[in-house]
Amino acid sequence: MLRKILFACAFMLINTVTLWAQQETIEVFPSAPYDRHIIFQCLAFFWMAIIGLVVIVRMKLKEIERIQKMGIDRENKDIPLLD
Amino acid sequence: MSCQRLKDWLDERYDFEEIASIAKKKLVPAHKYEIWYYTGGIAMFLFILQFITGMVLSFYYIPYFEHANKSIIEIVTKLNMGWFFRSLHHWGAQLAITVLFIHAFSTLLLKSYRKPRELLWISGFILLAISIFFGLSGYFLLWDERAFAAVRVATGGAGNLPVIGGFIKAFLRGGIDVTGDTLIRFYAFHVSILPLLTLFLIGIHVLLVQYHGMSVPLSQEKKALKGTPFFPNLFYKDIIIWLLVLGVVVSLATLLPPEIGKKADPLAPAPENIKPEWYFLFLFQTLKLFPGEIMGLNGEMIAIILISCGILFFFLIPFFDRKSNAGEKSTVFTWISVIYLLYFVIMTVIGYLT
Repeated sequence: MLRKILFACAFMLINTVTLWAQQETIEVFPSAPYDRHIIFQCLAFFWMAIIGLVVIVRMKLKEIERIQKMGIDRENKDIPLLD
Repeated sequence: MSCQRLKDWLDERYDFEEIASIAKKKLVPAHKYEIWYYTGGIAMFLFILQFITGMVLSFYYIPYFEHANKSIIEIVTKLNMGWFFRSLHHWGAQLAITVLFIHAFSTLLLKSYRKPRELLWISGFILLAISIFFGLSGYFLLWDERAFAAVRVATGGAGNLPVIGGFIKAFLRGGIDVTGDTLIRFYAFHVSILPLLTLFLIGIHVLLVQYHGMSVPLSQEKKALKGTPFFPNLFYKDIIIWLLVLGVVVSLATLLPPEIGKKADPLAPAPENIKPEWYFLFLFQTLKLFPGEIMGLNGEMIAIILISCGILFFFLIPFFDRKSNAGEKSTVFTWISVIYLLYFVIMTVIGYLT
């Protein structure tokens, strides 16, 4: 039993020594799981918003091209004035 | 004041209808290489992003060697969303330089520099050089071991140029070695001198594009090309691309935030396996090819002279390529452009992998 405890203590000490010698790393990203979850969720929403906007702009562009193809976007020079 | 009243107030003073009709009349040639037109717009969008994120970061950054590294750690670890803005600024810079290189090489390969667009090429080239210096000065603001060693190598390399090298080195470093003075100098470059120069040059570049119109490749010039209206067609396409680029930058900033190294110690030796930023790798790799001494002369100096000659030739290509200026096919300069591109890509990849 004593032998086991001694081994465990020695093992712990060795590990703690390596921890002391370890270079301090700076957290460049929030480490809390909740924060990480929120950030990744926001990223997913952000992409959804971008895709939505892209679809809307593309629809608008297609409509403009359709109107241009029909030629009704151009001003008619001889148009009668109503007033 | 209601919106309509404000609109009327402005309409009385400024002719917005005229401006809108100019935008509608502006046509952009449609051909199979038109995709390369968008690279300039992407670069400008990324510059705007860099200006915004840079301004936010400058509220908290302390440009003094004792506090520089610590202030960045505090921005990243203590400020709300600080890590995100710093990461966005980092990735925005990486993408901006990548897009600028693509823009430069596409201009080179499509011979868009040919007469009468020489000044466009020159202003674009200076903008690329400024962006690289933006990258180097911004990297140094971290004041960590790697940035310190990279700036020592880069400014030392510039010092190997004959005649003016010593002056450039002392001017950049603010002394004989890289110190806290260099940090203040690089900060001044990064936040005031370079942004002003960039704004001025972007203004000239955009004005010249408007003046000359978009360049059409020689192979497409003889074909009957249709023009697409810039507004709204191209404008909407630009918006789509900018949205996607924004998504990519934000994703990179979130998924791969850049590390912060150990605070620089000017007296400590340079860390092992040091590498410069990716856009310097081709120069770094070229320097490695040269031995320390060539026929009794300093090998590094010879390498720097040869690299400078190569860059100068690249800069003056519009004046050498007379065939393209005359509207003829110039195979020699196409090959020269391909060699430049391959050399840049291959050396960068080798530098990255080794």
